[in-house]
Formats: sequence, structure tokens, C-alpha cells
Amino acid sequence: MKIDLESQTINITSLKEAPIHLSGQIQPHGVLLVLDEPELKILQVSNNTWSILGISAEDILQKKLEDLLDSFQIERIQAGLSSGNLEFINPTKIWIRKKGDDYAVFDAVFHRNAEGFLIVELEPAITQENIPFLSFYHLAKASISQLQKTANLRDFCQIIVQEVRKVTDFDRVMLYKFDDDGHGSVIAEEKLDTLEPYLGLHYPESDIPKPARKLFTSNSIRVIPNAQAQAVQMIPSVNPVSDRPVDLTNSILRSAAACHLEYLHNMGVGASLTISLIKDNKLWGLIACHHQSAKYVSYELRKACEFLGRVIFTEISAREETEDYDYRMNLTHIQSLLVEYMSQEDNFIDGLVKHQPNLLDLTGAKGAAVCFGDHFTLIGETPKEEDLVFLVQWLKNNAEEDFFFTDSLPQIYPDAERYKNVASGLLAIPISQRNYVLWFRPEVIQTVNWGGDPNKAFEVNQSNGNVRLCPRKSFELWKETVRLTSLPWKYVEIKAALELRKAIVNIVLRQADELAQLAQDLERSNAELKKFAYVASHDLQEPLNQVANYVQLLEMRYQEALDEDANEFITFAVEGVSLMQTLIDDVLAYSKVDTQAIAFQLTEVEKALEKALGNLRQRIAETGATITHDPLPTVMAGSTQLMQLFQNLIANAIKFRSHEAPQIHIGAERLEDEWLFSVKDNGIGIDPQFSDRIFVIFQRLHTRDEYHGTGMGLAICKKIIECHRGRIWVESQLGQGATFYFTIPVGGRERERRNGRKTQNNLFSRGQ
Amino acid sequence: MSVETEEKHRTIFLVEDNKADIRLIQEAFKNSQLPHEVVTVRDGMDAMAYLRQEGDYTHAPRPDLILLDLNLPRKDGREVLAEIKADPVLKRIPVVVLTTSRNEDDIFHSYDLHVNCYITKSRNLTQLFQIVKGIEEFWLSTVTLPPE
Repeated sequence: MKIDLESQTINITSLKEAPIHLSGQIQPHGVLLVLDEPELKILQVSNNTWSILGISAEDILQKKLEDLLDSFQIERIQAGLSSGNLEFINPTKIWIRKKGDDYAVFDAVFHRNAEGFLIVELEPAITQENIPFLSFYHLAKASISQLQKTANLRDFCQIIVQEVRKVTDFDRVMLYKFDDDGHGSVIAEEKLDTLEPYLGLHYPESDIPKPARKLFTSNSIRVIPNAQAQAVQMIPSVNPVSDRPVDLTNSILRSAAACHLEYLHNMGVGASLTISLIKDNKLWGLIACHHQSAKYVSYELRKACEFLGRVIFTEISAREETEDYDYRMNLTHIQSLLVEYMSQEDNFIDGLVKHQPNLLDLTGAKGAAVCFGDHFTLIGETPKEEDLVFLVQWLKNNAEEDFFFTDSLPQIYPDAERYKNVASGLLAIPISQRNYVLWFRPEVIQTVNWGGDPNKAFEVNQSNGNVRLCPRKSFELWKETVRLTSLPWKYVEIKAALELRKAIVNIVLRQADELAQLAQDLERSNAELKKFAYVASHDLQEPLNQVANYVQLLEMRYQEALDEDANEFITFAVEGVSLMQTLIDDVLAYSKVDTQAIAFQLTEVEKALEKALGNLRQRIAETGATITHDPLPTVMAGSTQLMQLFQNLIANAIKFRSHEAPQIHIGAERLEDEWLFSVKDNGIGIDPQFSDRIFVIFQRLHTRDEYHGTGMGLAICKKIIECHRGRIWVESQLGQGATFYFTIPVGGRERERRNGRKTQNNLFSRGQ
Repeated sequence: MSVETEEKHRTIFLVEDNKADIRLIQEAFKNSQLPHEVVTVRDGMDAMAYLRQEGDYTHAPRPDLILLDLNLPRKDGREVLAEIKADPVLKRIPVVVLTTSRNEDDIFHSYDLHVNCYITKSRNLTQLFQIVKGIEEFWLSTVTLPPE
């Protein structure tokens, strides 16, 4: 196997993992026997029986267990083995005669390995201590009642390490927790004051390589009483029955991996005890006990710690789940608030960003963007809008799922490196083909306290082509920046985002429905207005015309036959009808000023003016009015409406003339982004207090006897100007003439094209 | 010796539903010097039956001029106009639309259908009399109409 030493990145998993459980080595402080049931024939034995029992290994091999132990013990063991549960006899005190009356006393632990061999491990019974169950129960009870008073995970973990240290008296007890990415960190620690603290340190994933993790998962407790001790071999190294090295996976005495021992040496650890914390069949963390010198821990004590760890860890798990649950519930609550806000606002996006909590709280993001119909609404720390345009484009081409998330966007979308500070993490949900909600998380420039340099977490020793992992030599703190990576998105956060997507889709659909309904209503009322306009122009006028015509016929033929009164009555009737006809005309004209219906086009203002003057020529001639004008521009306008505007204003200027002949001037002046037109006269003027009132429909300042009119002319003017998004006003003093001003924007009114739909039966839609 | 050319007797076909308007137009034509007859029907169906000499109108004389109102019961004036102008025989008869409607769509539509002219009914009796006089002079005297 070749390893490129130049390369800084070595894929740790590609290295050959030393099969620790098949090493055929055990720790020297105990004796391990591999037995064949049912005769309990000794197939293999550790090569340290001489030093511990004074019997050579060769003398033990191929014997039976009964040759080592007296019949009383054998009977007890046989009974235990046949009971089906080895835990009933674990541990069993065993005594073996060394010489004469010299007995060695052991704690014996039995287990059957994966191959079906019975494995007996004998550890010297160093103390006569026996942890009474009751005191142990009190210990656990005290711990648990303490736990119930504490709220958070950290405090729980702290209690665990305190209790374990209390029971075991190790120099240092730590609680490791593994992250999803396999890195570990020390989240609780209890130690001698003189020791350097490891609390808060992070360790790269490679510190506890995969095979070691696997073993930690299957062995809930590992003990190395003397890290300096020389391992002993099993004899023979190959099991004579299976013809393979014996599987020592679940053995207590199994030797630690060389690199693990080296690791311990580097930390100055003389003895270690490790308790695995398993959750959902996964290694959640470890309780690691370190001692500076060698330290033997009795089987009972180990079991007590294991039990304590488990009991308390059950609480931890529950609490961790509660924390998850609380967070999930909180997100659900935020989500329901957002839905409420969205339905309250006219625009659902306002509901997401204008209140507290907002879009950011839903996923624990630092920035968010709603991309809706080519418009971006940003909140918090986000990339620039122009960057988002490209990002959304990229998402359209690359994210086909209902959602997309990453905690390292720059690694899959290199452009994002430019804004890694705000968007190393991205969570995106498409609302439809081209609309997205995006959440961003910054690069974790959090300084991680790694226990050493993670890039040198292992060295590669190449000797004789063998590759072996070695732990780093130093535990000095150094700061490492996790580049281009954000905190990971939690499942519940992604779920909350997806739930929000449903809500938005519903709201958008509902709003689209409402809009469609509104458009439909509008169209209907428009159609009805048009119908009304038509009826007004025709059906209402017909009977009026009839009255008018016959009254006139009466007058024409019978004038002579009628007296003065009758003739006067006829005159009143004629006038009334005539006014009614004018009113209907004006109402019709007013209703025809319809924003939707004007076709805006480039209109020569002079032509519109000429047309208006043409319509007024009779009155101009009658009154001897002179009308002058500035050079007039071409503007974007409805030409008929513009003509009507001039016609009404000039007709008013003539109507409200003083004793002099009307002098009317039409001015035009270019302002920044609009044209300012004026119609100036030398008429009777208007009292300034009425300068707003005159534009209100049906408002008149004079009786009909003084001045004919319906009071609609200026209302129509105002409506026309509103359609053009301009302004109209008057400046005047009584007796000094009046000047009417109106503006027309240079670009014309920005037309809100309604899907290019032309209203049918449009009064103004034909080119004229 | 002066030869008196006997003036042709003109048939004016008035399609109008409003009795009052019929009467007014009849009154207006009373002032005419030309020998004429105003024939009236009051809806679009009858108008077509008359022109096609169907039903009660088998012996109806072919009119020299049609005065057509647009808003009619049973069959709309617009339809009547379209049918007249689509008929190879009838399309030669001049049609004057005489209506209250000032609706521009109506005006455009009528000209699209090849109406000969479109006149809006006046609100003023004197004007109405003038209009009728104008129609009479223009369509019945000045214009050379196609022979039957």
C-alpha cells in the first residue's frame, strides 16, 4: 500500500485497521483461559501463568479446568454455566493453590465469545472490598435526586463525573461526547487540582479510530490498570480447534491497541478505565477515568461505575431528548406564529420578516432571504442580492428535491467562498418553480479548542511497509478554524422549514385565488359599468329625447293657441329636459375616464389642443376669445383624454369670462421628470378657499341661472389626470383670472399590464 | 311643350320600434316635396321578412332607402344590417342607421358592415327635421341609385 507522504490529507479510513480484537495479546495482570465446553478443556492460555500461579503454560494446556480447581469450585462453575446466564456467577471468587498452603485468590469472569468458546478471565482479588449493594443504592439514589434538581445537560454530565470519581478515586474523570462528525469533546471533568484541565478540548475523529469505536460499542467497560505493563501472548497463538487467533472482543483483559497505549503514555496516564455510553446502539460518549500511576479496579467497583453511568445516562438521554423535544416544540410554536403573521399581512413575506419571532428563528439561522417573483426580501446577515440571483439559478439547476441543505456550501458551489462569512451553511426550500426561501449560517469561526493539531492527529510511521496510526505527541492547545463550514442543520430545523413551505404554498394559493376572485369581480363590475354607460347613453336618453322633441313640436305648432303661462311652462320643461340630457352626457363622459381602457401612445399635445378648439369653435367665435400657446411637446398620454382635458379647461375659461373678451394662454414647461402645462385666463377668477372644492364631482360655485353646467367638467379633468399619474390644481384670486396647472409624467404612466389582457368592448381601444 | 317627367314614387322603409320616433320621422317626411311613402316595421324579424318578401310581405315593394334603428326587439338592428349587406340583392339598397346610440363601437361596427351612413338622432326637433330633409335630398334626389 502506497501512501503519499507529501499529501497533507490522508484518508484515515483507507489505512489498514489493526484488528485489535484478534491481536492474541492480553494485559499481564490477569490470566486468560480459552476453554472448550462441556469438558472445560483448556485450549489456550495466556503466557503469564508462571509469574502469577507458578505453573508454566505448557503444563496447563490441554488439561481440564478441574485439574486446576477443586471439585467444590468446579461444581459451582458447572451449575452457573448450565444456568444459561453467566452473569449469575460473575464474578466468582476462585482460589488456586500455588504451593503448599499458598493460594492465589482471583475474581473470575466467564463469557462465551462469538466463536462459542468459553473464556475465563482471572484477575487477582486485590482487595477484600465488597461494595455492599445498599450503599451502592444510596450512592445512585443521591446522584439521581441531585440530577432531578439540575436542569441542563452540562450539569448532569458534571454530576456523573463527580460521582464516578467519588467511587473510583481516579485522578481524573472526564465525560466525552461525540459529535455527528465523529469529533469528540470533553464536556465534563472532575480531577485533582494539580492536573491540567482538559474540559472543553476537542479531539479529532481520528483519535479514536473506527475499530476502537466498534470495540467501545460492544464492550461497555474497558480497564487498563497498568499502561506501562508489557502485554503477554496467548499460547498457542492460533486456537487449535478453530485454527484462528481467538476472538477476544468482549474480553476484559484484552490488550489495548499499541497506539492507544502510546496515546496514554503521551498524556502521562498510568491507568485508565473507560465506560461506554451507548444510545440507540451508537456510541454517544465515554466516561474516561485516568490515573497517573497504575491502579487496579475491582470487578465489583467497575460494575458499580458501569451501573451508575448507565442509570445516570438514562437520565441524560431523557434530558437530551427533552431538550430536543423542547426545541422542536419551540420551533413548532414559532412556525404557527409565522403562519398567523403571514395570514394577517397583505403580503405574506412581511409576515415572515416584520415580526418577532421571524424567519430566522425558525431554523436558528443568522440570515434569510425570500426570493419571490424576481424580488428578494432579506433579513439578517445574507449574501448580496446579485450573488443570490446566481445562487438561486444554481439551486434551480442542482437541487431537485423539496429541500436542499448543506453546512459547507463553498465546497459544492465554489462561488460561495466569497461570502463564506455569512453563508457557509445554506438551507433552501423551493416554494414553486422560481421562488425560494433561503436560510444562511456563517462560517464557524468559532475557535475550537482542539486537543492538538487535527491536521497532525496521526502520524504515519512507515516501517517495513507497515502503516500504523500513532497519536499526536502533544496536547497543547492550538486554535483551529473550521474552514468553509457552518454549524450543521438539525433535522427538526429542516422539518420546520418544510412545514413552513406547506403553509406558504397554501397562503400563496389562497392569495392567488383571492386575486383571481378580485379580478373577476372587477371585470364583472367593469362590464356592468360599461353596460350602464351604454344604457345611460341610449335607453335613458331615448325617453328624454322623446319628451324634448314632442314638447318642441307642441311649441312649434300650437304656440299661437297657447297663452303666455302655457308657453312658459313649456320653456321650463324644455330646460329641465335639456339639463338632464347634459347631465347624462357628463356622467357618461366621467365613467368613460377609465384607467384600464386608455391606450397610451405618443401624443402631440398641439393636435389634442387643436381638436379641442375645433369642438369649441362656435363658443370661441361667439365670445371673441383669443387663444395662444407655447410650443407644445409630445407626451405619452391618451389622446382623446388629453383633448377632453383641454376642451373642459378652455370651455371653463370662456364660460367664466369677465367683461373683457377671453384671453387664454396654454403654457408648457419641462420639469425634471414631468411636463407642467397651464391654462391661463383673464376671467372672473376663483376664491382660493374653493380651489380644492371645484374638482369634486357635482360641486358648483354658481347657480345654474348664472352659469350653466353640471359641475362635472373639472371632476372629469381630475380623473383624467389621475389616470395619467399626474397632478392638477388651480391658482387664482377673485377678479384676477385663473391659471389651471396639470402635470404629465415624461415616461407616461407605468402601465401595469394585466397579463397583456385587453378588456373587451373597450370604449377607447380602437386606434383612431 | 313641357314634358312632365313623372317623379318616381319613393318607398322609404323605416325600421324603428319606438312609436314616438316613428311618428316624429313621419312628421318630418310630411314636409317632403317628393312623392313618397314611409313603410314602417317595428322589429328586426319583420324587417327581414319585409325585405325578403316573406310571410305577410309577399307583395311588399322594394324600398329605395332603409332607415334602420340599431336597438330593436326580436332581431337586433346590427344583425339586420349584417344580413342586408350579406345579401347580394339587398346590399344595393342604401341603409342609413338612425339611432340614439353615440356608442363609438356601434358606429365602427356599422361602418364595418358597410352601412351607407350613420346618423345620431337629434335631441332637437329642428335638427331632426333638418336631418330628415338632408337624407331625403341626398339619398332620394342627388345620389344615383342602382336600378332595381
